Amino acid sequence: MGAIRISGVTKSFGEFQALSSISLEVAQGEFVTLLGPSGCGKTTLLKIISGFIEPTDGQIEIGGENVTRLPPEQRDTALCFQSYALFPHLTVRENLEFGLRQKKLGRDEIASRVRDVSTKLELAAQMDKLPNQLSGGQQQRVSLGRALVMRPSVILFDEPLSNLDAKLRDQVRIEIRRIQKDYDLTAIYVTHDQAEALAMSDRVVVLNQGRAEQIDTPERLYAAPATSFVADFIGSANVMEGTVLSADGAGLCTVETPIGVLEAKDAGVPPGAIRRLSWRPEKAQIGEPGLTATVTHRAFQGHFTDLTVDTGGTLYRVQTGRDDIREGDGITFALRPADIVFLEAVG
Amino acid sequence: MTLRRAATILLLLMPGLGLILALIGAVVYIAVAQSFGLYSLMGESAFSLAFWSDTMGKKAFDKAVRYSIYVGVLSAIFSVILAYPLAIWLRKPFAGSVTIGAVLKAPLLVHGLVAAFLYINIISYNGLLNQVMQGLGIWDGPKRLQNDRNAIGVLILQTWKNMPFALLLLTGAVQAISDDVLDAARDLGAGSWARFRKVIAPLTVSGLQAAMVIIFIGALADFSFQTIAGPTNRQSLAQLMVNFKGRGDWHSAAVVGVSMMAIALIGSALLAVAARMIMRGRLK
Ligand SMILES: Nc1ncnc2c1ncn2[C@@H]1O[C@H](COP(=O)(O)OP(=O)(O)O)[C@@H](O)[C@H]1O
Ligand SMILES: [Mg+2]
Repeated sequence: MGAIRISGVTKSFGEFQALSSISLEVAQGEFVTLLGPSGCGKTTLLKIISGFIEPTDGQIEIGGENVTRLPPEQRDTALCFQSYALFPHLTVRENLEFGLRQKKLGRDEIASRVRDVSTKLELAAQMDKLPNQLSGGQQQRVSLGRALVMRPSVILFDEPLSNLDAKLRDQVRIEIRRIQKDYDLTAIYVTHDQAEALAMSDRVVVLNQGRAEQIDTPERLYAAPATSFVADFIGSANVMEGTVLSADGAGLCTVETPIGVLEAKDAGVPPGAIRRLSWRPEKAQIGEPGLTATVTHRAFQGHFTDLTVDTGGTLYRVQTGRDDIREGDGITFALRPADIVFLEAVG
Repeated sequence: MTLRRAATILLLLMPGLGLILALIGAVVYIAVAQSFGLYSLMGESAFSLAFWSDTMGKKAFDKAVRYSIYVGVLSAIFSVILAYPLAIWLRKPFAGSVTIGAVLKAPLLVHGLVAAFLYINIISYNGLLNQVMQGLGIWDGPKRLQNDRNAIGVLILQTWKNMPFALLLLTGAVQAISDDVLDAARDLGAGSWARFRKVIAPLTVSGLQAAMVIIFIGALADFSFQTIAGPTNRQSLAQLMVNFKGRGDWHSAAVVGVSMMAIALIGSALLAVAARMIMRGRLK
């Protein structure tokens, strides 16, 4: 059983609170990503799970066993380091065998596991090379292989793709996910790249300054961000403030916003309440009557065009499939009630 | 093109390497020549093997060779054995680590002779150690500790003087290992001893070799510690050499000197190979 239960984990470095009461349950075989900007505490949480850092408060269970005080060498977790951390004096084969020899497995067992993983990761031709004779992508695969041969209950990744170029990144991303499914591994994956998080994960934990802002599936995070931080961090949604004016009792309400009075889906927010609202750039119905704006910046992206528009002195991002809009053009657009998401209260 | 390149490199190296080679070369040449009876400072110069056969036939020479190797090897080993844990402990900075590092390196600044006299004072018949041990009731009466037969005094002094040097080299080597590499070993199940054997030792073997070789050569050629604190029933090679010279026998002194250089060279190579084999032992 590889399920992880993180309960109320807090970590302070002196005065500085790196993690504040994080709770999370990960099911066997699940792929969960910790997503957040640099310095938000992702590595700290990963190191608490692997045992390198002891939490100030809270506890970690792996497979039902409380491991909070267990040192890393005794935990059934395997960590893939951002820096790969291969043993520079050992060949690829010896790197792969390292953990298995520590576990004192039999010669045949070691050989068969190493063969299995090296074939899967296409490392068979590199087995007798030293790490410094490998390319970045190959080193990354050795680091992955070194963790995989252990067949750990939990595999942990700390930004494993950040040292690879974009094309290789996409390829290895798919590879990691495929292998994770093949071996039915429980995985916790750390990244600051929201696209990577959305593409790979079963669920994503959005971390901000040591707090979990939202824990949800990629689809839900995108469609229904809980806070303006999540809305902005994932897909750069437009965030604005709005005062609820009235509800019509039929599922719609009106909201006064800096860009005008809009209709939104009634989320049970009482009239008079001031809330943050978000809407996605691609949800703007360009050409529909309603809101007027001036295009201040245009960036053609291939299958769509990114526009920055000025509406009543505030800038917003919108996206369109049309390629005939130029900087300086006046446009009109509308927002559908369902596309406006209520976030946290203001103040 | 390659010829020009080689010539350029040679020319660039000349000022440093040339001077060193010229100085070493001259010394080695004179010593070797004198050991064969040439360049006599007094009397006739004539090529002869007599000095070699005479000196090597002497029991004192045999004893000096074995004694100096004993002191050299053990001093090197003790110094690195003490320096390793300290280097690992001081790898990551912590409150007070800079001060501790500085204090540990203090012996580098104290001259060996001063240390030797201090040491003699402490262990002398009426010295501090005897007084403390008697005061605590551990020893019944004062013990004669000076100039002990096994040269423990010399080994203590050599280790005291050389450990900081080993520490200097090993700290650098240990600090060059990244945290992630050590953490990776730990994550893969390696406890502290396994991390030392399989990661730290093989990755610091060059620093270890350098420390051992330099300490070995220094201790092999020890004169001052031996004169002050060493056993009186045998001589170190350096002592023997000075003795011959004192009697005006420059040629026999040269024989001892050349032997010392040869032992230093061969011993260093053997120590370096042994250190590599022991520390690099591939995982089996
Ligand atoms: N050992 C430490 N001592 C003090 N502060 C630390 C330590 N480790 C991490 N921090 C701080 O904790 C915060 C979170 O760090 P980290 O988990 O590495 O962030 P992330 O991996 O999300 O970029 C950072 O502000 C960092 O400076
Ligand atoms: Mg990090």
